[in-house]
Amino acid sequence: MSQSKAPILSVEGLSVSFPMPRSGIFGERQYLKAVRDISFDVPAGKTLGIVGESGSGKTTAAMATIRLTEAQAGVVEFNGTDLFKLSSEEMRQQRQHMQVIFQDPYSSLNPRDRVGAIVREPLDLMNVGDPKGRDARVAELFELVGLRPDQMALFPHQFSGGQRQRISIARALATNPALIVCDEPVSALDVAIQAQILNLLRKLQEELGLSYLFISHDLGVVQFICDEIAVMYLGEIVEQASRMDLFSKPQHPYTKALLETAPSLARRKSAGYRREALVEGDPPSPLNIPKGCAFAGRCPKATEKCLNERPELTFDGNRSVACHFPND
Amino acid sequence: MEPLLSVKDLKIEFDTRYGRVTALDGASFDIHPGETLGVVGESGCGKSITALAIMGLIPSPPGILAGGSIKYQGEELTTAPEQRLRQLRGGEISMIFQEPMTSLNPVFKVGDQIAETIMLHQGSSKDEAMDKAVELLRVVGIPEPTRRASSYPHELSGGMRQRVMIAIAISCQPQILIADEPTTALDVTVQAQIFELMREIQEEFGVAIMMITHDMGAIAEMADRVAVMYAGKIIEEGKADDILDFPGHPYTKGLIGCIPALGKASASAQTLPPLAEIPGVVPPLHLLGKGCAFADRCNEAHDACKVSPQLKGSPHAVACHAYRGDVA
Repeated sequence: MSQSKAPILSVEGLSVSFPMPRSGIFGERQYLKAVRDISFDVPAGKTLGIVGESGSGKTTAAMATIRLTEAQAGVVEFNGTDLFKLSSEEMRQQRQHMQVIFQDPYSSLNPRDRVGAIVREPLDLMNVGDPKGRDARVAELFELVGLRPDQMALFPHQFSGGQRQRISIARALATNPALIVCDEPVSALDVAIQAQILNLLRKLQEELGLSYLFISHDLGVVQFICDEIAVMYLGEIVEQASRMDLFSKPQHPYTKALLETAPSLARRKSAGYRREALVEGDPPSPLNIPKGCAFAGRCPKATEKCLNERPELTFDGNRSVACHFPND
Repeated sequence: MEPLLSVKDLKIEFDTRYGRVTALDGASFDIHPGETLGVVGESGCGKSITALAIMGLIPSPPGILAGGSIKYQGEELTTAPEQRLRQLRGGEISMIFQEPMTSLNPVFKVGDQIAETIMLHQGSSKDEAMDKAVELLRVVGIPEPTRRASSYPHELSGGMRQRVMIAIAISCQPQILIADEPTTALDVTVQAQIFELMREIQEEFGVAIMMITHDMGAIAEMADRVAVMYAGKIIEEGKADDILDFPGHPYTKGLIGCIPALGKASASAQTLPPLAEIPGVVPPLHLLGKGCAFADRCNEAHDACKVSPQLKGSPHAVACHAYRGDVA
């Protein structure tokens, strides 16, 4: 992946696992391996998308990157600073440069606070500017995300889902961050509203030079907003490529299946279209990870080798794929 | 052909703290044997209320059936006694819901839940019903059906739970299957499996499907005919191809235009244009005026839109003053 600029966020060998309850006092403790040894870069001013189905570890990976979940191993460099080596106060100071937009605009805003106060809170916590200046900044942010400053005195329940997501975006922008982690920011919204928010995120990126780490399960959304895409399956990255490469020439059978099964207006019942169920069954449990390729059990072209030998993510000069037979 | 289900001028009102609001305002449509009618629209437009009304499940109070008729094979359902409705529900007309986790009883084994329906409607003995339940689990594609019949819902994945819901719904060979956002809670690869299963069931048993969704991609793939709803009214109706290729109502055009589409053209485009937006949000039901409910968000609105437009035309009907027929 040739990038002209240095990455703003660089992740090496990130692993996250969660301890499970013991089966008995003397039982062995099991670990749920949510993210297994993944590496990726977010180029400055660009968007890296992480796609995958529920349980693939995409959210855990993003949250571990910004230390909202504890990682077991890995190095995360943000603007040249090793985040995992910072003390908690140093990390807190760093947080003004990295913010999050969450999936559900109903549960991520405090229902008892006025929305002006919600957007102002990061400025207060980070001691940015003087109190008067902060109010002016909040008004400016409201206009930036397409809300009216006179709405600052209202409560979250007085807004629709799309407007609440705009408030979340205003809050994320308050401290002038360089990186925003967007965790499924549009999946709870209706399509018409989703388009408004996606256009807004793209406009803000152009105007403010933001970098996004964008988590989504919707390939249409990812294609629209991301420059570079990593596909995750059962805690691993199975394919990573630029938008055009990934969507025009997917190589991993899982990526192919995702693209094949995504709904599209061009696939008509009247024309006799039937979705081939390319993948059968469900992903294996992250408590009991298969020895070979994690996708082998559902893969239409899996061989003996796939069941026994884990394919490494290899870079071919253009893209990275973790598959023994990517080109067949 | 005689319609299986015929809904005429159905009007549903709700008592709320804002006074009495009209949730469904004069909806009319037919469902013919063996066809799939797609009902599409944003949250709060009346899709699910329509389905619940057909099932006789509108909670009353606060719901009020304010007018109109629902005829199933010529039999009026709005005035039918509760006893008769109970025979029809689950027997002749059955329903699958969006969230399979909350629609199955967590404390009963799935086999028992399927058998319950069979015993109730067909008067079978417990043993016969259990045998049928296992057979149904096999039909809906659950591996090891005998073992799975004694699983509890929490032991199954989301896709498997939705398969169990479908098994319950088809257990008495209904004439009509109402599917309310059946795949919204599922991942795309699993969504493909469920759609395929619904198509197979339709072909094998000739069941008519009413599919409620907000996803135009799902409409393209599953529906023969489509009804588009907005703020409690059907604003466009016709063959799926006509609606997708030549949408007549500005709202339908907007819904189709705002989807971030996957396809060859966008896969190879260097930069993607912004998505088409429908400005604003759906107006709250208590603030609906006399005019066209969409006028405030519509770029084609003019003076005539102060009067609510009628749904006109056949087989492609559109409720818009600006619509001049299928000239495109």
